[in-house]
Amino acid sequence: MMQKKVCMLGGFAVGKTSLVRRFVSNVFSDHYHTTIGVTVEKKSVTVDDRDVMLVLWDLYGEDEFQRVRDSYLRGSSGYILVMDGTRRATLDAAFALQQTALQTVGTVPFISIINKADVRSEWEIDERTIEQLRERGWTVLFGSAKLGQGVEELFVTLATQIVHAAPIPRDCL
Amino acid sequence: MSVDEDWTQLRTLLLSPEQTQLDELRDRLDNRAVQPRDVSRVLPEAFAVRGERDPQLATVLTPYVENGFVATIRKSPRAIVDAIAPIMGPAIRQAIARALQGMTQSFNHSLDESLSVRGLRWRLEAWRTGRPFAEVVLLHTLRYRVEQVFLIHRETGLLLHHVGAEGAVVQDQQVLSGMLTAIQSYVRDSFGASPDQTLDHFRVGEWTVWIEQGSHAYLAGVVRGTPPETLREDFQAALDDIHAQQPDALTHFDGDAAPFKATQTCLENCLHAHYEPPPRPSALKLWILGGAMILLLSWWGVMAYQTHARWSNLLVELGTEPGMVVTVAKSTLTGYHLEGLRDPLAKDPSAMVVEAGLEPSSIKAVWSPYYSLDPQLVETRAHSMLHAPTTVKLSVEGDTLVATGSASTEWARETRRLASLVPGISIYRDEGLVTTSIPDLLERINRTVVRFRSGSSIVEPSERAALGAGSMALRELDQAVSQSGQRVRLEVLGSTDDTGSVTRNIQLSKERAHVVLVALGGDQLGEATTVIAGLAQSTDQRGSTGEARDRRIVTLRATLTVANRGNEAARP
Repeated sequence: MMQKKVCMLGGFAVGKTSLVRRFVSNVFSDHYHTTIGVTVEKKSVTVDDRDVMLVLWDLYGEDEFQRVRDSYLRGSSGYILVMDGTRRATLDAAFALQQTALQTVGTVPFISIINKADVRSEWEIDERTIEQLRERGWTVLFGSAKLGQGVEELFVTLATQIVHAAPIPRDCL
Repeated sequence: MSVDEDWTQLRTLLLSPEQTQLDELRDRLDNRAVQPRDVSRVLPEAFAVRGERDPQLATVLTPYVENGFVATIRKSPRAIVDAIAPIMGPAIRQAIARALQGMTQSFNHSLDESLSVRGLRWRLEAWRTGRPFAEVVLLHTLRYRVEQVFLIHRETGLLLHHVGAEGAVVQDQQVLSGMLTAIQSYVRDSFGASPDQTLDHFRVGEWTVWIEQGSHAYLAGVVRGTPPETLREDFQAALDDIHAQQPDALTHFDGDAAPFKATQTCLENCLHAHYEPPPRPSALKLWILGGAMILLLSWWGVMAYQTHARWSNLLVELGTEPGMVVTVAKSTLTGYHLEGLRDPLAKDPSAMVVEAGLEPSSIKAVWSPYYSLDPQLVETRAHSMLHAPTTVKLSVEGDTLVATGSASTEWARETRRLASLVPGISIYRDEGLVTTSIPDLLERINRTVVRFRSGSSIVEPSERAALGAGSMALRELDQAVSQSGQRVRLEVLGSTDDTGSVTRNIQLSKERAHVVLVALGGDQLGEATTVIAGLAQSTDQRGSTGEARDRRIVTLRATLTVANRGNEAARP
């Protein structure tokens, strides 16, 4: 079966682990987050009648105390940028992380998701900002880890993009 | 013919062979491409030379040979089957033999350990943990065993291939591969190590994870126990082979691990295991153990025989003992069990058990009470129920109770009424019983006179008959009144004649009274109260003429009182 490494990136407490929990059934202890800054999970999805195993590296949310380790990003076939709609600051964190990912793994497929769609009225990220993101070429999805909304779509969409993406040699980046 | 033609002809004649050689050399120089014919001449030698130098040739040729082999199988499988049949048969037999040998070794290993103390401990552990005994034995005798080998892509942390030993606990391999990679990155980043400085190994409980790095992939071996350092060389060799066999697949790995199934054999070769051979018990130990066992068995046999003999003797004793009937006697795992009937007057069975040399706690006995018709017990029962005085002798003849001796009229009358109620007695006979009434006995006692010589307090032989009659009457009276709630009060009155001083006479009177009382056995009279009195001169005038000799006497005066005090000897 085809395996693909996918990193979950995002600011502190944006709901990365909650999204993973919604997606996979068996989750390692959160303890690893606070010790080595990552937990690894796996989940199979079907793309074009082919099974693809996503090996999800759920990285600890970047904040002032802990930064995402570049080494964890290496070898990723794609990544997911998670933002919290109710905190605009998480958008800035997403920008920074996208730049880090770009420098580390190159132009691999990625998808951004704005979490907490269940409390849309409290969002600080407005429609115009979202439109600007899309204009930059970002795929922006809305989801709610709490309700499970948009979670399956998120991972399947990314898996599809990864499978369809032509392999780009690192030397050409 | 011109001169030029002559020269040409001459040159041809002289230099023709050399010219031909020169033309050939020119052709070779002009056409520098390798000719198959030339290669074919040196190819075997070239293979031989390169093959001796390093294994690269074999590594390079392997895929082509494999592809050719696969193509041949597809094209004409029959030819392949015919070709390999002669070697497949022995190979299969060898594999089966190895498997059987492994099973036999495992079985022998388990059997060796199953009879030792250590083996019993492990058997207990197997029972406690629910694991098979053979597995527990293997775990304890294990020096090391490579339980799992992971081949992991270095950059992505994705699993390329995995093999595990039989029975090893295999975790989620893909997730574990990712976490292993993350841990390595974390450690390297945390210590600021350079990329070539990597995590070598780490230990968790009884497991050690050994990591060997390659240029594109690394190999992680999960080892239980303490592996030798040479194992690392095996890991590295396997990793080198894999890099040599799969250079393209590793360089352009895109998540498809299918090509790495070919590394199965390579990784399986890393699944080493080494077990500690069971220690052979020395011959001396075996002899000591065997001797101790024989001694123990002998001692147990002797003890068992002795106990059984004592048990048999006890049963015989119980069978002959009056008043006991054994109905059930059997030996159990914990001791012996007895059931039977026992007359309350029969001997105590516990005492008989002790006398037989057996431990009372080893025998559980259940006795039901009953009346035995054994003459001895019937007689004892009659004595007990009828309160026969000591002057009466009771004997049992069949179902007849015979009373002889002497007794009070009251006792005789009461016994005639009660005798037939004694279990085992139908008939009562007392023709040989002499009866006397209490007044008669009182009179006989009060009639007793013991005479003394002048100044003496010694009972004369001639007086013993009178003393004996008084004593007999006194005992009969004591027993006769014992059931009536009354008590005999006996006064022993000593006296003297008028010779000598009054003081001396009073002393002498007391001495005489005391001597008579002792002779009567007065201090042993059951319910009687005795009083000793000394008089200077007798007031009793039972002598015929009141002569002096009639006053040197001791007389008895018995009366009946209501019983309320214990036996006492009162002195004035």
